[in-house]
Amino acid sequence: MSKKILIIDDDKIFSKILRDGLVAGGQGKYEVATAFDGEEGFLVAEREKPNLIMLDMMMPKVTGIEFLRKLRGEEWGKDTPVIVETQLSDLEKMSEGVELGVRGYIIKSDYSLDTILRQVEDILK
Amino acid sequence: MFQSGLLPVIAVLLTLYFAVVVFSYLGVRRIRRGALEKDREAKRRLYELAILKEVADRTGYSLNIQKVLDVIVGSLNQFLEYSAVSYMLLSPSKIVFKADLERSVSSQFIKDIRTRMLSALSALLGRDLAGIEVEETITGAITLEDIDEPVRSYFNIPLVIGAELVGVLTVSHTKEGLYKESEMEILYKVVNQASQAVTKLEEVVKTEQGKVAAMVESMIEGVVMTDIDYRIIATNPAAKEIIGKKEGAPTIFDFIDAFKGALDIRGKLEEAIKLDKVLTIDEIFFNNKYYKIVVSPVRSSVGLTRGQILGGVVIFHDITHEKEAEKMRSDFTSMMVHELRSPLGNIKKIGEMMRSSKILEDKQASSEYVSMLYESSSSMLNLVNDLLDVARLEAGKFDIDKQSMDIRTLLAEQVKFFEATAQGAGINLKLLVGEKMPNYVMADAKRITQVAGNLLSNALNYTPKGGAVTALCFVHKKGMILGDEAAAIGAPWVRDNMPSTAEIPDSIVVAVTDTGEGLAKEQIDKLFNKFTQFASSVRQSDHKGTGLGLVIVKGIVESHGGTVGVGSKAGTGSTFYFTLPL
Repeated sequence: MSKKILIIDDDKIFSKILRDGLVAGGQGKYEVATAFDGEEGFLVAEREKPNLIMLDMMMPKVTGIEFLRKLRGEEWGKDTPVIVETQLSDLEKMSEGVELGVRGYIIKSDYSLDTILRQVEDILK
Repeated sequence: MFQSGLLPVIAVLLTLYFAVVVFSYLGVRRIRRGALEKDREAKRRLYELAILKEVADRTGYSLNIQKVLDVIVGSLNQFLEYSAVSYMLLSPSKIVFKADLERSVSSQFIKDIRTRMLSALSALLGRDLAGIEVEETITGAITLEDIDEPVRSYFNIPLVIGAELVGVLTVSHTKEGLYKESEMEILYKVVNQASQAVTKLEEVVKTEQGKVAAMVESMIEGVVMTDIDYRIIATNPAAKEIIGKKEGAPTIFDFIDAFKGALDIRGKLEEAIKLDKVLTIDEIFFNNKYYKIVVSPVRSSVGLTRGQILGGVVIFHDITHEKEAEKMRSDFTSMMVHELRSPLGNIKKIGEMMRSSKILEDKQASSEYVSMLYESSSSMLNLVNDLLDVARLEAGKFDIDKQSMDIRTLLAEQVKFFEATAQGAGINLKLLVGEKMPNYVMADAKRITQVAGNLLSNALNYTPKGGAVTALCFVHKKGMILGDEAAAIGAPWVRDNMPSTAEIPDSIVVAVTDTGEGLAKEQIDKLFNKFTQFASSVRQSDHKGTGLGLVIVKGIVESHGGTVGVGSKAGTGSTFYFTLPL
């Protein structure tokens, strides 16, 4: 059975590259959905109950941290693995993310699809 | 016969001789007396000059009337004869009594002049001085109890400083009949001169102190000055506000307690005073504010205490604003880097994808990727262009190439350019032009196109489906309200939060009114600030653009001598306008 991955990111181009990369790299193992802000992301997550969420930390409306807090407050979302997308300069602000059970991170300006694929594979094993 | 004839001659000669002798004696005596008189007069003048000079010199160094009096007392014997010269000075807590004995007198003599002076002082002041402690100093000759001579001559001169009686100076003698009023003229002169000098100096010092006090009072920086024992000598309102003490004079403990944990004020003062050096604490955080603190020893720069350390001063500079500006700048830089890096990262990744996967074989996917490349690089280019424009504006190197141009044509072209976007977003876009528009205005067509385009694209960006965006232009007459003039051509205009427009000179007004989300007052204030604009644009990144557009709009319009303005109401919409003076 294929695993569901939800990408929540307001950068549509990044989302698309990531989605295409995951779909192509996963060779049918992954079903990937995208949402463009935290609000929409939460609705999709609630409906789809993804196996993994890739979350952008800097978004309009609901920020990444706010989304995480909300997610962890839900019975269905308290254990969902999350990989955050962030900037190198914002890494220091990630301590709350770590407390909220973030499983990994992607540095947005310098990511490699191969590494992301390996990370995702590890988590979804 | 000869002899008898000679006698009367001799007698006459003798008489003549005597007369000559007597006359010459008298003459010499008179001349001598005159010379003596002159000599005395000259001496007196010289003395007067000397003592006046000395008084002037001493008072130049000292504000202390007691020191000045000591000078007078010490040199008075060259001029006056007395048994004792004494002065009595009033200070807030005591009376200083000092007597300098030229010759030995009995202690009763001293007691007597002391009593007389006290009662003279009391009478002059109209005040009972009985309860006040008298500090007595006797100098000069010793007292001898077997001399039983009372005060027979006595003269008092009141000491007045700045129209206020501060004491009396007295000369006294065991001899009778001295000190006639006429003889005392010089003493009056001397004392008067000294008093005047001290009075003048006190005035100068008071004025200077007043100036310094006023300056310290009005300083934005908090200032606390202490003496060498860390007792507060002066504080200003700013300092009191820092520690939140509204009433009464604060003590050093108020400051020590207030800054407990943040700064050891006493320790720093001690260090500054003991080591005689200026200490700077670059940054402390206290009561939600940042302060830079300078602790410095205070040295006397005048008088006999010149160079001596008198105490310390603590100056509190509130650097909260600078810190905020610094943070804003650093946020701006990191956002800018982020905004540049994201599309660049994407471009690189797109290239990678296109190279490694089979996307190029899929026609639709590859065209998607190509348009993504285009979008990413355009957004980067826009940002770089905007940043360059802002940099040019700030450097004052924004070149405006004014040519005669038709603003109506320019606006019509811009509206046409955005028509497709408006249609796609379901927004009704139209242009309203007022009457009597001039055919040509002098402006930089390229830059004005940029301005109009920016206002239109903003309006379209922030207006929801089903809304309306109206571009308008009309001729404004000074004294008229823009909203009224817009209404006259049937154009919508949001007046809320718009400052008065009546003072705007005769101009062409171009405006864009939308029915978008509108802005709150605080947001309007930040619109034209590059730092806040950029930050909010990143947070609102579902709307395209760098947020620097309005900063640039303002710069372009102002380079044309015009003004920009906004009226807006949250939930209703906004009107952005700019003027080009006629």
